[in-house]
Amino acid sequence: MSTSERVAEVTVPAVAERRQPKRRRFAQNWWRHAVALIALVFALFPVAYVLSAAFNGDNSLSGSSLIPRHVTFDNFRTLFVGQKNTTGHATFQNAHYASWFANSMIVAGATALLTVLLGALAAYAFSRFRFRGRRLGMLTLLLIHMFPQLLAVLAIYLIVLNVGDIFHFIGLNTLSALVLVYLGGAMGVNTWLMKGFFDTIPSELDESARVDGATPAQVFWGVVLPLAAPVLAVIALISFVATLNEFVIASVVLETQHKFTLPVGLWQYIDQKYSEHWGPFAAGVLIAAVPAALLFAFLQRYIVQGLTQGAVKG
Amino acid sequence: MADVQFRDVDKVYDNGVQAVFSLSLQIQDGEFLVLVGPSGCGKTTALRMVAGLEEITDGTISIGDRVVNDLTPKDRDIAMVFQNYALYPHLSVGDNIAFGLRLRKTPKKTVDERVQWAARLLGLTPYLDRRPKELSGGQRQRVAMGRAIVRQPQVFLMDEPLSNLDAKLRVQMRAEIGRIQRELKTTTIYVTHDQTEAMTMGDHVAVMRKGELQQMDTPQKLYSDPKNLFVASFIGSPSMNLVEAEIERRNGGLVAKLADQELAIPAEVASLRPALAGYAGRKVALGIRPEQLEDASIVRDGADGNRLRGRVLLTEALGSELLAHVELSGRPVVTDDVLEGAVELEDAMLDDLAQKAEEERTTFVGRFDAESEVRPDHIVDMLVDTGKLQFFDLETGTSIRAG
Repeated sequence: MSTSERVAEVTVPAVAERRQPKRRRFAQNWWRHAVALIALVFALFPVAYVLSAAFNGDNSLSGSSLIPRHVTFDNFRTLFVGQKNTTGHATFQNAHYASWFANSMIVAGATALLTVLLGALAAYAFSRFRFRGRRLGMLTLLLIHMFPQLLAVLAIYLIVLNVGDIFHFIGLNTLSALVLVYLGGAMGVNTWLMKGFFDTIPSELDESARVDGATPAQVFWGVVLPLAAPVLAVIALISFVATLNEFVIASVVLETQHKFTLPVGLWQYIDQKYSEHWGPFAAGVLIAAVPAALLFAFLQRYIVQGLTQGAVKG
Repeated sequence: MADVQFRDVDKVYDNGVQAVFSLSLQIQDGEFLVLVGPSGCGKTTALRMVAGLEEITDGTISIGDRVVNDLTPKDRDIAMVFQNYALYPHLSVGDNIAFGLRLRKTPKKTVDERVQWAARLLGLTPYLDRRPKELSGGQRQRVAMGRAIVRQPQVFLMDEPLSNLDAKLRVQMRAEIGRIQRELKTTTIYVTHDQTEAMTMGDHVAVMRKGELQQMDTPQKLYSDPKNLFVASFIGSPSMNLVEAEIERRNGGLVAKLADQELAIPAEVASLRPALAGYAGRKVALGIRPEQLEDASIVRDGADGNRLRGRVLLTEALGSELLAHVELSGRPVVTDDVLEGAVELEDAMLDDLAQKAEEERTTFVGRFDAESEVRPDHIVDMLVDTGKLQFFDLETGTSIRAG
């Protein structure tokens, strides 16, 4: 950066401030603050309710106030150790929350990891190699993605059912089957996203590495993937969160309590059968949000712009 | 160390465009060859075929005694410097330089030694731990060089490595690359569109145009004895003055007539070009380098020399010399060869040239001594050093030499 640019950066805001005294600026800008405030309240409203419900001793949603009258951890206890019959409703003799949580982590983690890996491989091929059917392949990926996976639920059920007869490890009621289904679902859009990013990595870097003596695999792992870290992190995060939230397909593929993922398992708390137990449900949701938040915190440092800066003259 | 040979190499891209036509070149062991030509002449394609980044459609390229057509880049034992440097932004300078060595599973101790050696040679030692983005353009260029030399390959390939630097740094790096190449004695193929770079750096220079090799020679030979109009107008800055002239026999000798003026062709020039006599009564392209023209008023004993008279259009005082643009009557040579070779001219100037051709007026650039006091609109007498006149066939564009 030249000196003149640095000077410009410092002086411009200073001049702006002098021209616009603070009071007048607020008079002009108050509506921006108002919009921000409304958006904030709108976004935090559900969070506040979940927090409230999770720590509330009363088990009904409508009757409770936003600030719980009795703060309690009973709801969390219910999730992990079950609940004795106190109200005359059906009880949760066996608490499965721990295994639902573990299942969700396994499924979401595996899906995120494999989505990134397979998507990156496909995207690299589409971005760098010229082969017959390249264009058609890309268009097909996009087209397939136009159809919601929900439309295919029946087909997915039948496929998993029949495949399970031969390969038990990817049959009905297995986590691996669920992961496979998820992988197919999001591959299209992820490949497109990554291809777009790979296209911005100068191909001279690949060529340079090849001349330096790298095999195509070494170019991919050693040069392209590290530079694509931002898009890989974004896609890992998106697919982790999406998988964590997915209900319909999981409820079709999984059949028994100890195989359920969090959405399928927690649903039972507010299902008609058991009447509505919003307390444990909210508590379960709250815990489930922790890993997603942690993952975001961890990946955040990769989600930065300008990582390729300095590769080529710019 | 090895020599590099192109034998009848063709390159046709998938879309049917042919970039290189039957290219044959021989680069000696340890030689510095510059491939030069206007953009789109196939020079970069030729280089990339040596690197293995482009397939060779036909013919063979060999490095040393190995034909490398079907070898992958990593098996060719070459190193390449890219126009935009192509440094790995996620690696430090040291790791960038060591990258190739580590891929070859070189022992760690050797890697460290070699990286230190390369860094010392290029003055990069203080920057080894920095990332490429923290370096200036010139330093990045050095890192790219370091990455090439550290492996001590058989051949260096350089694709316009200086074109992203500013003018002053370019001159400095030009000298530095030359020094390193001489020190390491590694066969080098260097691609550029800049004829000054080509002339100053190459042991030999190969001029290309539209995928075909025009002439390969030493820089001096290329300048003093261009094979055709394209090379004549491409090499040299300012370009060679080219004008149509009619050859006539007079008193047993030959003269070249430019409209209303004429130049006597010295007997030794005519004898060097026996075919010239056959052009008597016909028009040829006459070439005069700017330094063959001098302001007659500042030459003491030039009274009886060959002169051309014209009107000064503008002057450029460069301190050490004065460039005078002088208009005189005569038809400028405006064949495709010349227009393509004159890459320094803007489109507007080319239009102007065509206009002038219609009006039978031509502009010569003379490289006068700084003492000259010519100013725009002066009428100037220019003394012509006729011993170095060049003659080209107007139809074929080739230099008129032996029968």
